[in-house]
Amino acid sequence: MTPPSMLDIRNLNVALLNGRPILRDVSLTVAPGEVRALVGESGAGKSMIGKAVLGILPRGLKVTSGEILLEGQPLHDLRPAARRRRVAEVAALIPQDPLTALNPVRRIGAQIVDPLIKIHGWARPAAQARALDLLHRVHIRAPERVMQSYPHELSGGMRQRVLIASAFAASPRLIVADEPTTALDVTVQKQILRLIRELQQETGTAVLFVTHDMGVVAKISQQVSVLFQGKVMEDAPTQAVFDAPDHAYTRALIAATPSYADPERPFSPVPQSLIAEMSAALAMEVRR
Amino acid sequence: MAETSLPTAPRARVRRLNLRLWLPLSWIGTLVVVALAAPWVAPHDPLAQDLFFERLPPFFLAGTEPGFWLGTDSLGRDVLSRMIHGARIALLVSVSAALITCIFGSALGLLAGYYGGWWDRVISRLVDIWMAFPPVLFAVLLVAVMGTGLTSVIAAIALIDWTRFARVIRAETMVQARMDYVDSARIGGARRLATLVGEILPNVLPSIIALLMLEMGIAVIVEAILSFVNLSISSDDPTWGSMIAEGRNAIHFAWWVLLFPLIALFLTVLSFSQLGEGLKQRFDPVLQ
Repeated sequence: MTPPSMLDIRNLNVALLNGRPILRDVSLTVAPGEVRALVGESGAGKSMIGKAVLGILPRGLKVTSGEILLEGQPLHDLRPAARRRRVAEVAALIPQDPLTALNPVRRIGAQIVDPLIKIHGWARPAAQARALDLLHRVHIRAPERVMQSYPHELSGGMRQRVLIASAFAASPRLIVADEPTTALDVTVQKQILRLIRELQQETGTAVLFVTHDMGVVAKISQQVSVLFQGKVMEDAPTQAVFDAPDHAYTRALIAATPSYADPERPFSPVPQSLIAEMSAALAMEVRR
Repeated sequence: MAETSLPTAPRARVRRLNLRLWLPLSWIGTLVVVALAAPWVAPHDPLAQDLFFERLPPFFLAGTEPGFWLGTDSLGRDVLSRMIHGARIALLVSVSAALITCIFGSALGLLAGYYGGWWDRVISRLVDIWMAFPPVLFAVLLVAVMGTGLTSVIAAIALIDWTRFARVIRAETMVQARMDYVDSARIGGARRLATLVGEILPNVLPSIIALLMLEMGIAVIVEAILSFVNLSISSDDPTWGSMIAEGRNAIHFAWWVLLFPLIALFLTVLSFSQLGEGLKQRFDPVLQ
């Protein structure tokens, strides 16, 4: 018998209160220790999948149907408090914007250590040692001093390192990385990406990696789901997707990725005709 | 800042003397000391009348008597002594009324801003309705119903002005609630109330303190207005407002009776409002 998936999303539908669909029948699984990329253009709903799993959908969005199973356990059976505890035990988030993801008036150390003590029941010295160790592992040079700093005293890249350290601190079995490199400049992006991959491989944590960048997908993931307007267009191993993309939209996305090797190549965005055609197809589906 | 470079070392930078903080603080400090030590500091009994010494001018004019530094009023009472005793009432009212207003209004603002939904609708409508009443008329009405006296004045101020806190703090809370660090805290397993108190409140606190200081100034004015129309505490007790009211009749030939309490009132209100800003600049780690 195969072990249960780390994360199993079945026919998830999320809609605005006025009924406009945000996610349409999304199904995907993440095996233990696997990295699954969620890729799509802005507004495709890729971040919302992660938020639905973690229970932080913005106000005005509701899960209308479908199931989310965390380690085989359906989350919707749980009461809100129990659900939150379960998610806190198992999962963590690497957020998109390191500038707002740390509380500006609390010291870095407290922000990493407090959840370990309050939620995971660690002793303070152990939690502190753990935080230092992790800051060290995300290549922060003076972890003791950073622990005493406020977020505004650190650069964006350092803050993202702190957030990565914080995400891995409680040894989660699933991490949702919500475009963790989007807000950073290109040179820092590469370092952060390498760091996440490094820690992921060391710890064997499963990762749901949200991105719009096919280049990142190729570097980090084993599986990939391609989203368009809240619907999964293609779901396949990353290697297969790059070797022989099945869907026209995936091909267009790959073609639209700028290349370092060939910077002179003209930019080729996803053709408007294809987007129009797919939107029309989705609209038909809703009407049926 | 270069990647992984150290954050700036423990602050050894030269801080410019913050006049906005220290000037108001010294005036209010003096006021507090004088108010506490009023019976010993005041040169005369504030209620002692002496019709031989009526309307004596202050010390720098001709025709003055030694010992009556700022002159006397129409009943021969020492203006300086009355001002010193008036400071007691002014400070007592401003501190207690502002604190009560602040706690009540901020709590409602925080709840409305973070919980949203019904909380927000009920509290916001209440604020709207409340603000439709003309405030001074409202205060006069309240004091008339509850009877004059110190508690009525304090209650009237709190009942009128909580809307100021509720509105501003609600807006600030809504801004903070959208920050990623709030989501992170929730994913970390924090309960809603714990998130509100532990994560959002510290970020809103600088605004609360600034408003509190402003409110202390406003409370001094409201108290003065109520004493001016004889609706504060009994007219025997010296208050700045009642002194101004009395001095009004003799403004053409005994202007000192009105002017000195007016200056004290002006400086106090200005100090409180500047102190709020000064404190915000001093203690908000983000603004530093």
